[in-house]
Amino acid sequence: MAGPLAPLPSGPDESPDLAALEVEGISKTYGSVRALTDVSLSVRTGRIVGLLGPNGAGKSTTMKAVLGLVRPDAGRIRLFGQDVAADPPRAKQQIGYVPESPALYEFLTGAEYLDFVADMYGLDAATRTPRIQQFLAGFELAGHEGSLISGYSQGMKQKVALIAALVHRPRLLVLDEPLNGLDPRAARVTKDLLRNLASHEGVAVLFSTHVLEIAQAICDQVVILSRGTVLASGTMEALRARAGLAGSGLEDVFLSLTGTGDLGDVVAALAR
Amino acid sequence: MDLHRVRRLAGVLIASQLRSGRSTSDPESFFGTPGFLAVIDTAAFAGAALLAWLAVRVSGLPTAAWAQLVGPLLPFLPLVGLSVVLVAGTMFELTATVRFSGSDAAHWLPLDPSEYAMASATAIAFSYSPSIALALGGVLPVAFVSGTFVPYLVAAGLSVVALLQGGLVIEIVRAVGQRAGAVAASRGGRATLVVRAALLILVILAVQLAFNPVVLLAVVHDLASVLIVTAIVPFLWSTQTVFDVLRGDPWLALAFGAGQVAFLGVLVDLAGWARARYWVPAGSEADVGPVRFAAGHPWFSAAGLSAPESAVAAKDLKGFVRRREMMPTLVVPVVFVVLIFLEGGSLGALGVVLWLGWIVGFFGLILATTSVGQERRSLQLLLATPITPRGLHRAKVAAVLVPVLIASVLVGAAVGVYFGFDPVHALALVAISATAGVELTLWGLVFAARYSDFQDRPRPQFLRPSGMLAATASGTVLLFAFLVPAAFALAATGMTAIVAGLVATAIAVGFGVLSIVWSRSGFEALFRELPF
Repeated sequence: MAGPLAPLPSGPDESPDLAALEVEGISKTYGSVRALTDVSLSVRTGRIVGLLGPNGAGKSTTMKAVLGLVRPDAGRIRLFGQDVAADPPRAKQQIGYVPESPALYEFLTGAEYLDFVADMYGLDAATRTPRIQQFLAGFELAGHEGSLISGYSQGMKQKVALIAALVHRPRLLVLDEPLNGLDPRAARVTKDLLRNLASHEGVAVLFSTHVLEIAQAICDQVVILSRGTVLASGTMEALRARAGLAGSGLEDVFLSLTGTGDLGDVVAALAR
Repeated sequence: MDLHRVRRLAGVLIASQLRSGRSTSDPESFFGTPGFLAVIDTAAFAGAALLAWLAVRVSGLPTAAWAQLVGPLLPFLPLVGLSVVLVAGTMFELTATVRFSGSDAAHWLPLDPSEYAMASATAIAFSYSPSIALALGGVLPVAFVSGTFVPYLVAAGLSVVALLQGGLVIEIVRAVGQRAGAVAASRGGRATLVVRAALLILVILAVQLAFNPVVLLAVVHDLASVLIVTAIVPFLWSTQTVFDVLRGDPWLALAFGAGQVAFLGVLVDLAGWARARYWVPAGSEADVGPVRFAAGHPWFSAAGLSAPESAVAAKDLKGFVRRREMMPTLVVPVVFVVLIFLEGGSLGALGVVLWLGWIVGFFGLILATTSVGQERRSLQLLLATPITPRGLHRAKVAAVLVPVLIASVLVGAAVGVYFGFDPVHALALVAISATAGVELTLWGLVFAARYSDFQDRPRPQFLRPSGMLAATASGTVLLFAFLVPAAFALAATGMTAIVAGLVATAIAVGFGVLSIVWSRSGFEALFRELPF
């Protein structure tokens, strides 16, 4: 069995200033519901961008649009300078994706699922085997990989989804609340791994979470969405300055910018 | 037992079935409430009664003739309800998705096992009640004019009891099956999955054949005159009760009727006991066997599929035997094949060809139409991988054709031998059934790409009803357009056989090409945007 997670073999030599993902003015409407309005953001290689926002803000829709799972009504999405709509399979080959609620094939074992994913990305046996085993050990799933996924806990399923997103060494990671259900150790491994991949391998990461401490700890930049529009974006310092809350944490900045800062009355009412 | 709690829980279970997956529908909608089923029951009862009343008026038959007709019919009404619940229940309730059948959502509530069993049985009974409402409505006018209204009322009451009994039997089998599955899972091993699937198929098959209304009524009709038999089989006490009412023996009727109601109580206790004794939460971890990572699937690669296409096809094949909700799809053709062997003597060679072609063709149609919808929410992850629309189409064709071609060869050969076809004709029979299977597989994918239902439901349908209706209707026309000339080619000789064979080939090739073009365009559309 392979040991704990070691840094992955070095990936493509990315220029630190290369724009990995450019989302330019995308809009999306479902019937009468406007899900996204003129959303723009970019993720450069080696950077982690946190996508924050209240429930229903459009974070998942934006991420699905990057994957080509949602077709924007307007705007353009480029991956390493190429329009993703021009050659979707080529774009998807370079992306690792964890959806908000990963629906895995529960009738497969963890190993079979990861083998399936490796086949989808064209990994040969010599490449996939040590890599999968390394991830299984790192996420403490070794010994469970022969069991059907239907018997896994939510956290175990989330770990499998994470491994599936990482196994082909993507150049862009699109992670929709990837720490959901993870135990503290696995969450720490994931956070450190993302930082490691970004800084050493030049992987670009678009990352959504509701846990603002995590975003504050690992993101180089933050994009705050609200009601389908970009409310603010930039580094932590820039956001603090914009909110006029120098020295404050991301939670205060977020609540201030999204207009949900005054919660005292709500809490008092609920406590009665 | 707190009947108020039972009623509340039964209402929630019914609503869960009616509303599941309707993410866009109004939760306040009447169509998602038990009242909706009550309206269907009422409509079925009234509609059938009206039609039967019109038939009575138009026919002008004397009362004695109606009495002669309804006399042998009434005692079996309760058995119709029992039969429907058991046949449909084993097919759909026992194969419900683990997540729903686990009913973990209710386990934390302060419920007695008997209360849960009764609530679930009530929900099951209510779900299948339109069938008995239809039967009771159809018999009502006849019973009225023939002067058998009182026996009718007794039969109607006992039909409701029979529905509940069927629901309770399903609950008992489900609890025991859940434990058996967990024990099998704890033993581990890859063979466990196959054995588990085979056992489930056997249980469903046995119930399908034993409680098939045709078989059941024939058997009971023979046995019912023998009191000793009906006396020792509690499920037949309803039938005996109505017989006794019709014969004017109220005391014996009362004894059997009371016995039937008491037996319902016994089943409630038994179901509660089985739930308390055997129930285990769904989703226990099952170790399937040694882990081996390997790239590709040689068989599919040899057939020209790429690595991602092979992976999808191999994954789907595993799903066929491992997913409980796929079991009905595998069982239905087996039931029809068994019926071929039972009824085959009266079919003749032409009939055998048509019957076999129909079974294999529809097996292909059902597998193909459900092949995309069975991806469910996992479609999101599948479409995020670099597979192309054409690649997914090829993978789905391959995954469906493997079981369809195996079935056509095995069943075609068995039928050919059983009915004494010579080797050439037996081979032709296999070829015709295989072609029918391929044709409807390709046709089914046209609808799978456009009408798939990806919602999570207790009884997954995989294809929207409108799609299923369109696929079945058009598939039937297409199938017989090919099968009739093909059967003639097999049965005839000389020029007629050649012409019929050419016509059949042209139809198969023509529709095959059309199906491929239409299904590919459907897959392209599927990839444009996630359909949920």
